[in-house]
Amino acid sequence: MRNAMKNFTMKTLTAFACAGAVLVSAAAAQTVAIMDGTVHTVSGDVIEEGDVVIRDGRIAHVGADLTAPAGAQVIDASGKTVTPGLFGAYSSIGLVEIGAVDDANDSRPAEGFPLGAALDAVDAFNPSSVLIPVNRAGGVTRALSAPSAGDTLFAGKAAVVDLSGRANSITRAGAAQIAAMGERGAMREGGTRLGAWAVLREYLDEARSYAANPNDYVRRPHEARFALSDLKALGPVVAGEQPLIVQVNSANDIRTLIRLKNTYRLKAVIVGGSEAWRVGRELAMANIPVIISGMANLPNQFEDIDSTLKNAARLHQAGVDISFYEGAHNLRLIRQHAGNAVAEGLPHEAGLKAITLAPAEMFGVADELGSLEAGKIADVVIWDGDPLEVTTKPETVFINGREQDLENRQHMLMQRYRDLSRGDLPFAYRGGESD
Amino acid sequence: MRKLAWTAAAVLMLSACAQETGDETAETAAPGAAPADAAASASDDGAEKAEGPVRPPRDPYPSTYKPYPGETVLLTGATVLTGTGERIENGSVLIADGKVSAVGAADSIEAPEGAETIDAEGKWITPGIIDIHSHLGDYPSPSNASTSDGNEIVAPNTAYVWAEHSVWPQDAGFTRALAGGITSLQILPGSANLFGGRSAILKNVPSRTVQGMKFPDAPYGLKMACGENPKRVYGERGGPDTRMGNMAGYRAAWIEATAYKKKWDDYWKKYDEWADSDKKDKGDAPDAPARDLKLETLAGVLRGDILVNMHCYRADEMVQVLDMAEEFGYKVSTFHHAIEAYKIADYLAENDVCAAVWADWWGFKLEAFDTVGENAALVDAQPGGCAIIHSDDALGIQRLNQEAAKAMADGRRIGLEIEPEDAIVWLTANPAKAMGIGDKTGALEAGKMADVVVWNGNPFSVYAKAEKVYIDGALMYDRSDPSLSPRVDFELGLHDNGYTGGAGQ
Repeated sequence: MRNAMKNFTMKTLTAFACAGAVLVSAAAAQTVAIMDGTVHTVSGDVIEEGDVVIRDGRIAHVGADLTAPAGAQVIDASGKTVTPGLFGAYSSIGLVEIGAVDDANDSRPAEGFPLGAALDAVDAFNPSSVLIPVNRAGGVTRALSAPSAGDTLFAGKAAVVDLSGRANSITRAGAAQIAAMGERGAMREGGTRLGAWAVLREYLDEARSYAANPNDYVRRPHEARFALSDLKALGPVVAGEQPLIVQVNSANDIRTLIRLKNTYRLKAVIVGGSEAWRVGRELAMANIPVIISGMANLPNQFEDIDSTLKNAARLHQAGVDISFYEGAHNLRLIRQHAGNAVAEGLPHEAGLKAITLAPAEMFGVADELGSLEAGKIADVVIWDGDPLEVTTKPETVFINGREQDLENRQHMLMQRYRDLSRGDLPFAYRGGESD
Repeated sequence: MRKLAWTAAAVLMLSACAQETGDETAETAAPGAAPADAAASASDDGAEKAEGPVRPPRDPYPSTYKPYPGETVLLTGATVLTGTGERIENGSVLIADGKVSAVGAADSIEAPEGAETIDAEGKWITPGIIDIHSHLGDYPSPSNASTSDGNEIVAPNTAYVWAEHSVWPQDAGFTRALAGGITSLQILPGSANLFGGRSAILKNVPSRTVQGMKFPDAPYGLKMACGENPKRVYGERGGPDTRMGNMAGYRAAWIEATAYKKKWDDYWKKYDEWADSDKKDKGDAPDAPARDLKLETLAGVLRGDILVNMHCYRADEMVQVLDMAEEFGYKVSTFHHAIEAYKIADYLAENDVCAAVWADWWGFKLEAFDTVGENAALVDAQPGGCAIIHSDDALGIQRLNQEAAKAMADGRRIGLEIEPEDAIVWLTANPAKAMGIGDKTGALEAGKMADVVVWNGNPFSVYAKAEKVYIDGALMYDRSDPSLSPRVDFELGLHDNGYTGGAGQ
């Protein structure tokens, strides 16, 4: 069983196959039985007084009235809610510590930098980022770590990562490529959407030519404005293997994207999508998932005129898979996005799916992650209430079947200054006793 | 703070009276005590009048806001959070003549004849939500170079600009905020400058003009900024380039303002002496000093008429500013974005200064690195502590209730006893007090403005929605009635030649 699982992992987690093996064996010792919670499997029904057994880093059993295996650590979850770990579908976690501090921000290249698609989040993803424990304590266990576009249309390759903080927390490298289109694309390519779409097509055409015969491509005359490394990086995109996350908002840009997707047979995901609800049916037919905000509803740009809080509910109604984006520092707020969408008509279970299973599906890791099903990697959160409610907090978080430390810098700061009365020593001596 | 705010408000009310009644009231105003007295109206045109000395106009762009008509309404059977720390189960709120007329247990309040009774069982009623930190109208939607009117980035001290002169009343953000229960808000200039300019305090009622939104008789605020922003913006434009440069910039300005204030005080004193002197020895009246818009605002702070709103993240900087306020004899009303307020919550309480904070924003710059979810709760936990949850954001302003809910929950988890009736104060009475309008709104108390929100349940929930929003007793938003949902001009015809969803979009 364990060997089979290991092989399975190695096959599925493409770029870092051995990481999967490490992850499984490292967690081998721990068997945990979470008993009598309200279990949201996400892939199936909600189980009242349900149990989840975790063994060897995986979910061994999910059901009602299970018996805790001998020697298992038993957690009484009665009155609690048990869900899959939250999955941030689009963020820059691990690439940024402090937005406005250059040496603590790798999320976006400076003006004039020539490469785009070739950039790879894996090269800079920092598992020791102070943001990771903060968001882990907020119930986030996985995320897409995505760079932002500099001067070129493409931002580079995003990776699915876990939030364990371990040295190797890459779940899937090259999980997606990012393209900045819409107004962001227009800004980069001559000021119009016409320019941006034309250049995007040109990139894809050149990438196809390159992929067909790299040696031949470099020998014969070719469009010189594109870096070869970018074209090479776009190979899996034009092969229809790697999802291309496209930043677009207006209904009109989305229609253009659907045409492009069909022409080039791309695997496309939209991020932004403020007007996506207006083309819900077309998106469902084109099988394009959309990563949106659950809180945006202003005509902030001319491409957001029909931005509405009902976007999520309407897209879901139309049969479109959705998720929610959030920057990096507060990736934990994806559940507030989901909660707000639910308040505007999205079914609760769809809200939960949008921040667990849906992103796992978007980035090709749903056979391993995203729901509570036997055999999947055990990313599990026990909450003290409804996970979509803002007053709720995680009590226990498992990543890869291992219980996580929920301590974090913010909590330490709070502890230090909770009591402001003058002590025998300055505040700088408070805390850190355990070091 | 409470006292100061009340005094400022009272002075302003005098001013408003004076404008209506003319010179009669002038006799009763203390000469020189504040430039707000009756003579202000006499010199509104800037010309010296024989009746009195020159006084800079106090409110030359006066509010034209008039409450819209409202019914006498008895909201009954709800959970009422009064904004004064009380919670009434099965409570009633009676609205009449635009005011809160009575608040109490449902069986203690009878509907007057002709009143509409609304069964609010299962609903929660709170005072209207107040955002002390908004840029609606001066950074409106749509956001582009044409509409970017929030930061006068030309000099470190632009105390001479007034935010109201930038506010575009056709910002759809006002309507969305209304659907989130916002009834009053303070529009601040941005934080690029040491002195950003005057704020505008508005009622969240759509109008063709900003004057039609201005909160009647509210004092002005002054926006100031600590730390990274001014030094980042001016570091290569002649300074300040450092935090010490920031402090030097403020102090130089206060020295100048002190001299300016004295010049005017001396002039008024001389004028009074001249007016009282024997008629036959009397020469010409003394000349008034030249006006200076920048120093007029700063002198207004030194007189206690204009309330200081200081953008300040770091604990050590806030304490520096408190010393500076002591040095020059003024008062800081509120530190905004006070990420590190919890580190100096004792200083803030001792100095009677409010801290306006976000629930959980952090990390966008180094001075925002040290946030904690318990910040508001720890500020509040100090005896006399004043916590405020603010937005600084056109989306955040729509759900300040959720932001307060997070801050409340985090406080409760470390054992602080914070109930919804306490946390609602962070969104109502505390910002009202800090903005100098606490005697008029911010709580459900008889005689206060009927700025009232009916929620579909406990507002400290992600699922809570404001169902009805009353401003001065007029029903300005009803979630179930599209005809009671404002749409600004900009929105018309943009959705395929039709209407957008309006306030609750």
